Amino acid sequence: MSNWKLINKTYVYDGSFDGFLTIVFDSYSNKVLPQKIYSYKDYVENFLDKVLYIKTDYEKSKRVFNGIEKNICYESLYNSYNAFLSNEKDKEIHILKYLCNGFDVGPKINNMITTSYVFKVINMRRKALAECHKLKGLLRFQEIGNNLCYSSIHPDNNILEPLGHHFINRLPSMNFIIHDKIRDLCFIYNCKEYKIVDSKNLKISEISDDEKIYQDLWKIFFKTIAIKERKNSRCQMQYMPKKYWKDLIEMSN
Amino acid sequence: MDIYDKLKILADSAKYDASCSSSGSNRKNVNNGIGNGHVSGICHSWGADGRCISLLKILMTNSCMYDCKYCVNRATNSIRRATFTPQEIADLTINFYKRNYIEGLFLSSAVIKSPDYTMEMLVKTVTILRNEYNFNGYIHCKTIPGCSQELIDSLGSLVDRMSINIELPSNDSLKLLAPQKEKTGILKPMSYISNNIEQNRLIKSRFKPKFVPAGQTTQMIIGATPESDLKILKLSEGLYQKLKLKRVYYSAYVSVNNDKNLPTLESPPLLRENRLYQADWLLRFYGFKADELLNKSHPNFNHILDPKCDWALRNIDKFPIEINTANYFTLLRIPGIGIISAKKIIKARLNFLLNFDDLKKLGVVLKRAKYFITCKGKYFDKVYKFNQNFIETNLIYQERIDSNRKINFEQLSLFSNSYDNNYSYLTKEKSLLFKRLQPTKEDKIKCLTGSL
Repeated sequence: MSNWKLINKTYVYDGSFDGFLTIVFDSYSNKVLPQKIYSYKDYVENFLDKVLYIKTDYEKSKRVFNGIEKNICYESLYNSYNAFLSNEKDKEIHILKYLCNGFDVGPKINNMITTSYVFKVINMRRKALAECHKLKGLLRFQEIGNNLCYSSIHPDNNILEPLGHHFINRLPSMNFIIHDKIRDLCFIYNCKEYKIVDSKNLKISEISDDEKIYQDLWKIFFKTIAIKERKNSRCQMQYMPKKYWKDLIEMSN
Repeated sequence: MDIYDKLKILADSAKYDASCSSSGSNRKNVNNGIGNGHVSGICHSWGADGRCISLLKILMTNSCMYDCKYCVNRATNSIRRATFTPQEIADLTINFYKRNYIEGLFLSSAVIKSPDYTMEMLVKTVTILRNEYNFNGYIHCKTIPGCSQELIDSLGSLVDRMSINIELPSNDSLKLLAPQKEKTGILKPMSYISNNIEQNRLIKSRFKPKFVPAGQTTQMIIGATPESDLKILKLSEGLYQKLKLKRVYYSAYVSVNNDKNLPTLESPPLLRENRLYQADWLLRFYGFKADELLNKSHPNFNHILDPKCDWALRNIDKFPIEINTANYFTLLRIPGIGIISAKKIIKARLNFLLNFDDLKKLGVVLKRAKYFITCKGKYFDKVYKFNQNFIETNLIYQERIDSNRKINFEQLSLFSNSYDNNYSYLTKEKSLLFKRLQPTKEDKIKCLTGSL
C-alpha cells in the first residue's frame, strides 16, 4: 500500500455496507486513498471539499464481499462488517486501509495488531459486538397484541441486525419489533422473514392485559433478589450503565 | 395467597444461592419452540447488590424439614412459608422468558415431606417446561441430597446444569451446623452425576441424548466456620480434578440466624470471598496449583495484594520474564497479565519483537506487570531496581494511591465528617491504610502478614 496515491477528495456514499464495499472496489482498483469518507446523513457541505458522490453498485460490492473471504480470510470479513456497525467517526477510512492492506498481505493482517488501523478496526469490532451482547440481555419486550411484542432501544452503535438475528433464533414463533430510537430504524419480524425499515412516527399506545401483571412481577422479583447486606450500587452501575435505564422496566421509576 | 406474595417469599429465600450463570450449554431451538442456549451466557440485569440476574432464581417451596443452623429456611425459624405448583413456575418462566427478562430457570427447593417427593416435584416442573411448552432455554436445577438415582437420571436428561451444595468445607463444620446432613449424602450424588456426564461424553452418536450438558456446580459458605483459605482452596482443587466440576461458588456468610454455634459478623467477609474467587480463577485458567498459592506457614490470603502478586513476590527468582520469548503459560504467571493479554501478545509477536510502547498499544495493563517483565532484554523505564523490597513497596504504595482515589469521590462540604461515616468493610480498611501514607518497614511487614 506504500505506493498508493493520496488524493484530495471527499467521498460521500449512502451509508450502507454495500455502498462502502463499492468504495473499497474503486480505491483498490485505482490504487488511491480518499481523504475523507462520509455517509449522506453525516455530510455537511463544505466549500473547500472536492466531493465525489459514490453510487452503490451491488455487482462490485458482491465481488468485494466474496473476495475478502477468499483472499484474506473469514475473520477479516467478520471484523470489517462488525467494525462498520460502530459509531466511530472515521470508521470507513480505517476499514478501507485495513481491507486494502489485507488484500496485499493476506490473513497475516489480523496479527498486525500494533499497526494503528488494524488496532482501530479490531477495537471498533469489539466495542460494537460488546454492546450487542449487552443488549441481548438488557432489551425488554412488551406485549402489545396477540403474539406481538415491541421493544425500544437506545444503542450507541448500529447493532440492530445482529441483535435481531439473535432473537429470530431464540423466539422463531413470535412476531416482534425492535425499535432503534436513536437512528429511527425498526427491525420487524413476522415469523417468516425480517425487514429493517425507517420509522419516524412509530408510537405504541396500548399494551396487552397480561403485560402489566408480568411487569409488576418482574419488579417484585428484581427488588427481592438483591441481598441488602451486600448493597453495591457502584458495581450495579458499572455493569448496567445509566444510558440504558430508560428502556428497562425495573429501573424506570 | 396470590402469586405476587409467593414470588416475593420464594425469591427472597433463594437469593443466598450465588450461582446465576447461564453459560456452557448450546441447546438448539427445535420445532419452533421457545428459546435456545447461549454458550457464553447472557446477563439480563444486575441487582442492587451488583450481582447479575440471568436466571429466574426461585425455590419450589421454603417449608423445610431440616434445621440447618445457618439457613433462613430452617424448620425452627418463624418466617412465612409458601409453595409454588409446577404449573405456576412453568407459566412464570415462559412469560418472563418471552419478554427477555431472563435467560432461563434456576430451580431449587427446601426439602418437603421427603427428598424423593421434593425431587419428583422438580422433575414434574421441568417436564412441563420442556415437553408441553417446548422450552429450549437454560434450566439449572438443584439436586436434593438423599434422593433416588432414577430421579437424578430423569432430571439430568432434561436440565442443562445440576448442582448440589457442599455448604460447609469440612465434615466437622457440617456436624456442627447442619447435623442432619452428611458428607457422604452430598458427595455420593455428585460423583454419580459426574460419572454419568463422563459416560455420556463417550457416546459417539450425533443423536445421543443430552445429560447435564453444562456440567455441575457447587457452593460453600465462607466465614461461618474456622477453616483456613488453604483448606477451602484444596477442597475446590479436589472437586475440579476428581469430580470434574464446572464451578465452585463461594458465598460470604451473611448472618441471618442467631445461634451459639454461629459467629456474629458485622458485615459479610466480602474481601475474603473476592480473594477466593481470584484464586479459583488461577486454578482453573492459569495453571496454578493450590499448594503454590498457599502453604502451611502461609494459610490465608494477603489482604492487600491479590493472590497472583503475592505468589510472584514469594517466587521473585522466577522473574523477570522476557515478553518476546516466554511461552503462554509463563506469560500467564505475570501479575497483571491475563488470558486476553497473553493471547494478544502471542499473536502480535509473530510479526515483530514487542517493546513497552507496543504492549501499551495492545491494551496490556502495565500497572503491576511492569515490575516483572523485560522487553528485548530491557526493564521498564521507571523500574530501575529489580529486587523484592523495591517491588513490594511500590505495589503497596500504588494500592494506597488507588484506594484514596476511590474513597474521595464525594461532594465537598463544610460539615462533612467523612472518615467517621459508615464505610463498607473494604473501604474502611483501605481508608485506615491511607492515613499513614509513607509505608514504614514495620508497616509493610504487617501488611504482608495480614495483621492490621
